[in-house]
Formats: sequence, structure tokens, C-alpha cells
Amino acid sequence: MSAADVANLFVSALLLAGVYAAMSVGMTIIYGVMKIVNLAHAGFLMLGAYFVFELYTRFSIDPLLGVLLGFPVFFLIGMGIHWLMIRRIPRSDQPTLASLLLLFGLWLVLQNLGYLIWGSSDRAILTPRTLSTFQFGPIVVPAVRLVVFGVAVASLAALEFVLRRTWFGRAVRALMQNSDAGRLAGVNVERTARVAFGVGIAFAGTAGGLLAMLYPFTPDFGGSFLLRAFVIIVLGGLESFAGVAIGAVILALVETFSILAIPAGYQPAIAFSLLVLALVVLPEGIAGLWNRRQRWT
Amino acid sequence: MNYGETSSGPFIRRFSSQAGFLLLLFLVAALPLAHPGPNVVRLVFITLVWIAASVGWNILGGFAGQVSFGFAVFFGVGAYATAISLNAGLGRASSLLLAACVAAAASVLISLPTFRLRGPYFAIATIGVSEATRVVMTNLQFTGGASGYRITEHGAFNQLLHYYVALAVAAIAVAVSILVRRSKLGLALIAIREDEDAASDLGVNPFRSKLLAHAIAAALTGAAGGVYTGYAAFIYPQGVFGFDISVAILLMPIIGGVGTLLGPVIGALVYGFVHEELMASFPQFHLLLYGALLILIILFEPGGVMGMFDKAVRFVRARSSGGSHP
Amino acid sequence: MAPILKLDRLTKNFAGLTALKDVSFQVEERGIFGLIGPNGAGKTTLLSIIAGSLQPTSGTITFQGRNITGMRSFQAVRAGVARTHQVPKPFGSLSVLENVEIALRFGRSVRSAAHTHDAKQILDRVGIARLYLQRAASLSVGDLKRLELARVLAARPSLLLCDEVCSGLTEEETASILALLCDIRRAGTSILYVEHNLRAIMSVCDHIIVMNYGQKLAEGLPQAMQNDPSVIEAYIGKTASI
Repeated sequence: MSAADVANLFVSALLLAGVYAAMSVGMTIIYGVMKIVNLAHAGFLMLGAYFVFELYTRFSIDPLLGVLLGFPVFFLIGMGIHWLMIRRIPRSDQPTLASLLLLFGLWLVLQNLGYLIWGSSDRAILTPRTLSTFQFGPIVVPAVRLVVFGVAVASLAALEFVLRRTWFGRAVRALMQNSDAGRLAGVNVERTARVAFGVGIAFAGTAGGLLAMLYPFTPDFGGSFLLRAFVIIVLGGLESFAGVAIGAVILALVETFSILAIPAGYQPAIAFSLLVLALVVLPEGIAGLWNRRQRWT
Repeated sequence: MNYGETSSGPFIRRFSSQAGFLLLLFLVAALPLAHPGPNVVRLVFITLVWIAASVGWNILGGFAGQVSFGFAVFFGVGAYATAISLNAGLGRASSLLLAACVAAAASVLISLPTFRLRGPYFAIATIGVSEATRVVMTNLQFTGGASGYRITEHGAFNQLLHYYVALAVAAIAVAVSILVRRSKLGLALIAIREDEDAASDLGVNPFRSKLLAHAIAAALTGAAGGVYTGYAAFIYPQGVFGFDISVAILLMPIIGGVGTLLGPVIGALVYGFVHEELMASFPQFHLLLYGALLILIILFEPGGVMGMFDKAVRFVRARSSGGSHP
Repeated sequence: MAPILKLDRLTKNFAGLTALKDVSFQVEERGIFGLIGPNGAGKTTLLSIIAGSLQPTSGTITFQGRNITGMRSFQAVRAGVARTHQVPKPFGSLSVLENVEIALRFGRSVRSAAHTHDAKQILDRVGIARLYLQRAASLSVGDLKRLELARVLAARPSLLLCDEVCSGLTEEETASILALLCDIRRAGTSILYVEHNLRAIMSVCDHIIVMNYGQKLAEGLPQAMQNDPSVIEAYIGKTASI
């Protein structure tokens, strides 16, 4: 294992972290504003992947463009779902059983619609970009990873801008702090929630598209990423965007370097083991803090 | 969520619950006498297995409100424990008992890290546990890995034997569920479900109560897995640890009425019969339909079948007492 | 009289916010001690810490000579400390009777088989015996407050922490609750009472502790506290602007 190899793995992990962060931020927004854990997130990751895939295979639209087009499409879908279902369940300051089960049901529907429409065989998005690489000294970076990372980071930066500079961003931050105070300060909770849900789903869709450019996928590829998003959010802090970045880096590093030590068949269990380790070793860590403050209705 | 009325509620409801169970027990026990044919017997057998698992899950998910999405791990652990011990020469009853104990032990191990989380985070963690176990079992050569594990059969296949074993286990599960609900533990679990911190403020040790509930639930589900294994004589990781098993176990009490005594049984009956029909006619659709069903239940009748029943009873009572209700 | 409760430099930080800073005082045995202060002063946080619902960042809590710092709330109940909640937290699906039964069976009560009877007696004392079969979720605010009190009494604490048991009640209801508190004290239980209703507190307490901004501002006899300038300032703000 040479220094160059280690450096390559490291860079690889960082690039992955970018996408992981983009993947997780959607759940954070929805949780922060509405205190709902979006289990259907996995379904939208999957839809995002197939959306880009269909645009590429049917209309020869470059996957990157497909990802960008996906944002408004999934935003509208997200708002639609909120209007159709989410606003009908009782609202609370803590996550509710009803929201959990509703979104789980939605996930089942989405995933199995996926099987019905696209079948269970592996799909992949292969472009000239997939095979080309960039070289920076001893570091070799596949072009697609660099590009995907770029888009992910750009979207996170855009989100950061929106949060700081727009009415929506201010409303979101107010509601994340304290929904009653936010309401009193004039924030239109339902409208903000609908937009927030839309944004959350939009990020899920675009992240799905980005991930599809890196990995082959089937309708249930959302599931393992959902678990990863969850690990990231728990590691980094449930309602903090900076925390998402930290958690994403940690997970990406562990996953990338664990290839050296663990047989490939056991790889899927990595995210979960990390989660258990975090819970056991950091009992008073982020999850513990949340545990004390929150209640389950 | 609507968890149904209190146990000190109307006498008529408690009486009808217990009468309902005994009637059901009698009917199911007597069924083979009518010579309905091996397919029907198999259908009822599967339903009995589901009843045991669903009633078990309800003790943790319904009474205590800790919704686990990963109960397949106990079903699978019970299945493999039974298979291995049967092959090692252990008797049928002992194997099932062992399966229950191993599943309970596994639940303790799982409780330690996961009960630090609440609500949806607990739910997601349980998915992780179950999936990780499935992945490990798929790779474990000792138990056959992905190719599965076979039980060496001694003697001819006796369908009725398995049928009555399943009936016994399901009956035990229901009895345990009633006992827990009426006990001090049951009271603690409901308090925890309603408000864990307030329960602690009154002297309830939440972790200990949840641990106990988890172990009992796991034991029942593990036994269910063992009963299934005895019948199937061949198991493989995707078949007993699969996520769809966890979904089924969770769906049944919700259809029937989560947190009630009769709910999981009704849900298992509905699911057992509907599932077989669905699998025969529309094998691709079943999870899709369950997802849609879940959405509809949550949006329109969170109390499930029992919730609808309660509403109907209250409607009838209001009308017969002249419209006024205390 | 020996102090039943002794707080020594209790401090609580919540990720950058200091809710409590070096709070120290004592509660005498069989006393009714009042805790007052403007909103946000940290009173409920303090009660939560004593009861074990929250853990302090530093400082110690000594109860009946034992160090109970760090105990979780169910352990504190076993030791003899129990609290009511500012906003009632009933177990909605259960009946009023069952709500009290939980405290009876898990609290510090003497092991008895007559739970239902004992629970009804406690409900009677608090004035809601007629509601015993009703689902807790259907109770009015006033009755919910009484249920809080009934539950905590069923846990048989030696030190009762009351958090605004009278807020939202009528004059009449308030008077009967206060009378009940005096009864409880007469029966041997010590009380630490947080309340916004100043008249209520002054009429029933032996000793008052005043808090503001997470710190103890002053303490003393009710009369003295009513006239203390720093206390008045805490509630009304600096008079200079008038």
C-alpha cells in the first residue's frame, strides 16, 4: 500500500462524501422543518436515477443535464405529494408514527412501481465520461466522479445561499429552531412546509441521478443509500447542515478504506456497523442529545 | 394513532375479545375434521404462523409503541436455530423452545444500542440490523450461505402434525399477549408508548420494560420462524430474513388495529388469505398494494379494522341510547 | 429542622445556552418552599434536574443525606423525589384510574394488592374520583392538572416538586389545590413549589427562592421577598425608563 494509493483512496472518499452529503441534505430539510423522517427518500433516489437514465437512453440527453432538469421536476413532485398526503396527517413537534408509516407505505409503492416499470435487472449509465480520467500528479480521478462531486457541491452551495438570503430560507431556519415562535413571527407554516418538502424531494431526485452516474442500479438501490443517509445524519447531528457534511465525510472515509480489510460480500453491513458503533461509543453524542430532548408521539 | 379503548373499558368488548379467541381456536382445531384438503390446511397453517409473529410484534410495536421494521431478524434466527437443532437430533418441542430463547437473546443484544434511539430512528436502525444479519447469513458458509440449509427428514411428512404445532404456538402467543396486556408490564408499556419521559417520572424504568417486551416479542416471532422451518424443511437467507417478511409482520397488526389484542389476529387472517390469492394472481403487485393499503389506512383509518369496529359500535350505541353520548 | 434537599452549585448548559448557573439552596424537611421568577428564569429546568428528567452539567444534589446527582427520574422516584409537569402529560389512551395505578405500582408505594381501591382514594383526595373510568385524553385542563397531582401523590414521594399546578385554574380551584398542598405537607411530605401566581405562592409558602437568568437572585420569607427591590426589578424591569 503506497502513499499514492492511500492518497487516491482518500481523494476518492472525499469525492464520494460530496455526493453523500447532497443525498442526505434532503432528509435534513424535511426533518428540520416538519419533524418528519422521510422514509420515501429512498424511493425518490431511485426515481431520480431512472429519470436520468430514461432521458439519456431515450433522448440522448447528457446525464448531467438530466440531473439539472430533475431538480424542478422533483420539486414539483415533492410539492404535489405534500399537498396530496403529507398535509393530511396530524402535525407535531416530534416525529409521529403516522408520518413514519405513511412515508414507508409511499416507499413501498414507489419501489414496486419501479419494479413494475423497469424490472429488476441492473441498469447503468455509461457515457464517454465514465471511462476517462484526470490525472493530478500521483492522483488519478475518474472524470465522472469529479463532475458528480462538482454538481453536488454546487447544489449544496446553492442551498446555503437560499437559506441565508431568501424568505424561504429565513422561514426554514425559523421553523427549524422553534415552530411556534416561527408561526408567531408570521411564517406561513403550511406554505413553507410544502416548499421545504419539495426542496427535500428535489435533492433526493438529483442525488439519485448523480449516484446513478456512479453505480449500476435497480429499483431497490435507494434502500442502502437511505441507511447511509440515516447514518450520516445521526453522526453529524439531526438538524445541522454542517453536521451532514461531517457525517458524509466520516462515512465515505470508513467505507472507502474498509475495502482494504473486509471481504466484498460483507460491504453492505458497513454503514450499519458504523451506526451501532457510534451509538455504543458515543452514547452522549448527537443521538444522545436528541434522545433527551425529543419525544415520540 | 388510535390505539383502541382502555382495558377497563366496556365489558362487552373484553368479553367479545375472549369469546372471539376461544371460538376461533375451536374452529381452527376442528377444521381438519372436515377434510378440507391439503391446500386449505397449508393456507391456515401459514396464517397461524403469521398470527404468532404478528401478535409478538404487537407487544413491542403496539403496546409499547416501539415500531420495529426489522422483525424478520427474529423470524430468521428462530428458523435457523430450529433447523440446526432438528438436524442435531433435538426433539421438535425442544427445538422450538431453543428457537424462542435464541431469538430472545438476540433481541437483548439488539436492544442495547437501538433503544437509545426513538421513533423513526429506532425503526430505521432495526432495518439495518435485519439487513446486516441477512447479509452475514448469505455469506456464512457454515449454514449454507445463499444456497440455504436443508433439514434431514426422518419419516414421512405429516401435515397435520405441523398444523397443530402451529395452532399451539399461535394460541400460546395470543395467551401471552393477553397476559402481558393485563399485567403490570403491560401498563408500563402503554405508559411508555404514550409518554416515555412521563412514565419514567412516575417510576417506570423504560429501558427495562422495553427490553422485556422486545424479548417476549422476539421469542414469539422466533418460535413462529421455527414452526415454519419445521414444515418447509428448507430455508435460505432471503426467504426468512428478507425485508418483505419484516414488512408483512408489521403490516398485519396495522391492518387489524395496532395495540389491540384482536387486531394482530384479524390482520394476520386478512393478510394470510389475501396474500395467497395475490401471490397466485399478481405476484408482482403484492408489495405495491400493501404500500398503497398502508397509505390509505394511515390517511383514513389509523385504527385499522378494530378502529372501524369501535366506530361502528359507538355509532350503534349512540343511536340506541337516543343520540346522546356521555 | 434538617434540610431534606440540598442543591450545591447546580449548573446546566445546553449547547451554548446557560440555563442554570451555580444555583445553591436548601429545602427544609416538611417545608413548603416556593420558587419564583420571570419566564425563562430556569425554574422548570431546575425542577427537571432535581427530579432526574435532565442531568446537570455540574453541581450536586443531596437528598436526605444521599447524593442523588445523576439519577434518572425513575430512580429518583424510588428514592423519594417526584414531580408534576407544567404542561400535564397524561397517558391519554388509559383511564384516569389506570394513570394513577401506574404511579402506585411503579412508584414508592407499599406493595399492596388493593390498587384500584388505593387509586380511587387518591383520586378522591384530589377531587376527580367521579372521572375514574374516563379516558385521560378527554379531561379538561383543570382536571388534567388534578390528575398530575394525583399521579405524583400515588408515587408517595418524600419531596414533591410542583410545577405550576395552579396555572389556568379558577380562584376556587386554586384555593382547593393550595389546601391540598398544606394537607400533604401536614402528612409529612416536603414541597418545592414553582408557581407564577404570586398571591398563591405567598399565601402557602414558608420560604421563597427567587430566580432570574438561571441564577438564584434572593431568598427569604415571603413578606421580605415581596418588598425586595431586586426581586421587583426582576419582574418589572428597571424603573428608570418610567
